[in-house]
Amino acid sequence: MSDAIQVRNLSKTFKRYPPRKHRTLKEAVLNGEIFRSSTEAKFIEALRDVNFSVPAGTTFGIVGRNGAGKSTLLKILCGIHKPTTGSIAVGGRLALLSLGLGFHGEFSGRENIFINGLVLGLTPRQLRARFDEIVAFAELEEFIDAPMRTYSSGMQMRLAFSVAINIAPDILLVDEILAVGDQAFSRKCIDSLNDFKRRGGTILLVTHDLATVRGWCDQALWLDHGTVTAIGRPEDVLAQYDDSFAEVPATV
Amino acid sequence: MVDKLEAVSDLPPSSWNPSAEPPAPVVTVIQSTQGQVALKLAELWRFRELLFFLVWRDVKVRYKQTLLGASWAILQPLATMIIFTVIFGRLAKLPSDGVPYPVFALAALVPWTFFANALGQATNSLVGSANLITKVYFPRLIIPTASILAGLVDFAISFAFLVCAYIYYGIVPSARVLTLPLFLLLALVFSFGFGFWLSALNVKYRDVRHVVPFITQIGLYATPVAYPSSLLGPKWQLLYAINPMVGVVEGVRWALFGTNTLTLPMIAMSSATALIMFFIGLVYFRSTEREFADLV
Ligand SMILES: Nc1ncnc2c1ncn2[C@@H]1O[C@H](COP(=O)(O)OP(=O)(O)OP(=O)(O)O)[C@@H](O)[C@H]1O
Ligand SMILES: [Mg+2]
Repeated sequence: MSDAIQVRNLSKTFKRYPPRKHRTLKEAVLNGEIFRSSTEAKFIEALRDVNFSVPAGTTFGIVGRNGAGKSTLLKILCGIHKPTTGSIAVGGRLALLSLGLGFHGEFSGRENIFINGLVLGLTPRQLRARFDEIVAFAELEEFIDAPMRTYSSGMQMRLAFSVAINIAPDILLVDEILAVGDQAFSRKCIDSLNDFKRRGGTILLVTHDLATVRGWCDQALWLDHGTVTAIGRPEDVLAQYDDSFAEVPATV
Repeated sequence: MVDKLEAVSDLPPSSWNPSAEPPAPVVTVIQSTQGQVALKLAELWRFRELLFFLVWRDVKVRYKQTLLGASWAILQPLATMIIFTVIFGRLAKLPSDGVPYPVFALAALVPWTFFANALGQATNSLVGSANLITKVYFPRLIIPTASILAGLVDFAISFAFLVCAYIYYGIVPSARVLTLPLFLLLALVFSFGFGFWLSALNVKYRDVRHVVPFITQIGLYATPVAYPSSLLGPKWQLLYAINPMVGVVEGVRWALFGTNTLTLPMIAMSSATALIMFFIGLVYFRSTEREFADLV
């Protein structure tokens, strides 16, 4: 079977200048660091030598603790962050569904639909043709001309989901988003994700809801501190992941 | 779909056509390509609709209260023109190459204001679009480009105002006015180059945007806006024209008023530095953009 996604020896290191992410020109000049790299830089290895592949048409679950590097991995797959070393190959168009999608707070819902549609490769004509469908699916007709910053997180997620599913990508990257909608919309999402799977779409699912991984995924991967700790059948991976919590007695 | 890691291209999306048969999926391979700078102009072209949309959106916001938006575009150069006329024209009695001082200053202030605003807008553009940059991929160059292009509407309005002043003073244009677009192109090229560079720099060093007003403040006096460049001796004029805005401003006056203070070496020098700046800005932007999403 052919792969929708291949990840080879992928590592990602972020640079930080504590306490901030970046420096100021003033500091750089004062420390004479304009032409050489800063000594204050701290390196964060978000991903370390990650290898896996996802066969086309399957659903792949990724679990791991907060800060394990899951979101970073998905963003690298979309081209947002660039790998420090290693390579990835993606077969087909892919859409990332994370909180907020590519939403600009000051832009209206309508403008955000356009921007995201254009970014994901639709032409303005195609977008106009699908516009009503996208809004109707999200059930946001009344709010579509209000600025995005006035939307609740559930509303943002509805719009993000609706855009992503309606532009019909080949691969859907879902980052921790299903938990935000209300029950009615969650049901709707699950239905359309099932539909997407039936049509042969590939899904990469990051979630802390292990039941979803167990019930949905063909394969699972446990990411811990940026390294792949376990990969394989969901039951096996989740059992190991569960055990890792047992080691530390909960003291609440 | 992907059987081997082979083709090395940079990034989505494919030209997707929903009415056709299911398209053969395009394989996108991303490798760590540190130190490699590609200008990727074809990719930019593929995203032109996004660029148009961002420009249109920016313009729409600026002119939401139509009257206020349009009057601001006039007020900015007008206020400076009045101050200059009083201080430099009346009090200091600076020469103005035989042109009425107010319109002499205004002809320079219109392109200068475009340039200064372009720098300011471009510098903040990437950081201001952090939400977009950290959530979706598209060529980042689109962001400063859109913010600079949106300023052309302001420019058009203030230029219309300049034309009114021109007519008011009863100046008769010669065939030279046909060359005006060339000088505006020069201003645009320089604005892009400088703007790309500053916008990328501001992602890395977040205080660059505080330096920019300082640059434009000094630049205003390093450019013959309030005074004619003929005030400097001929020996210095070539050195002076290293600032591309010298070529722009004197070029506009040459085209509008028929003044003869623009020499061929000067415009050649200004064009050369503008092109060099454009290239430096573009290459710097391209070589740092892979880190934008990490830093912004
Ligand atoms: N732009 C950045 N600059 C510096 N460090 C970053 C950046 N983005 C992420 N990191 C770091 O990389 C690590 C992985 O972050 P990531 O967001 O991928 O975790 P995650 O697995 O998605 O966690 P969660 O379950 O909380 O969503 C964290 O230590 C985080 O602090
Ligand atoms: Mg995350």
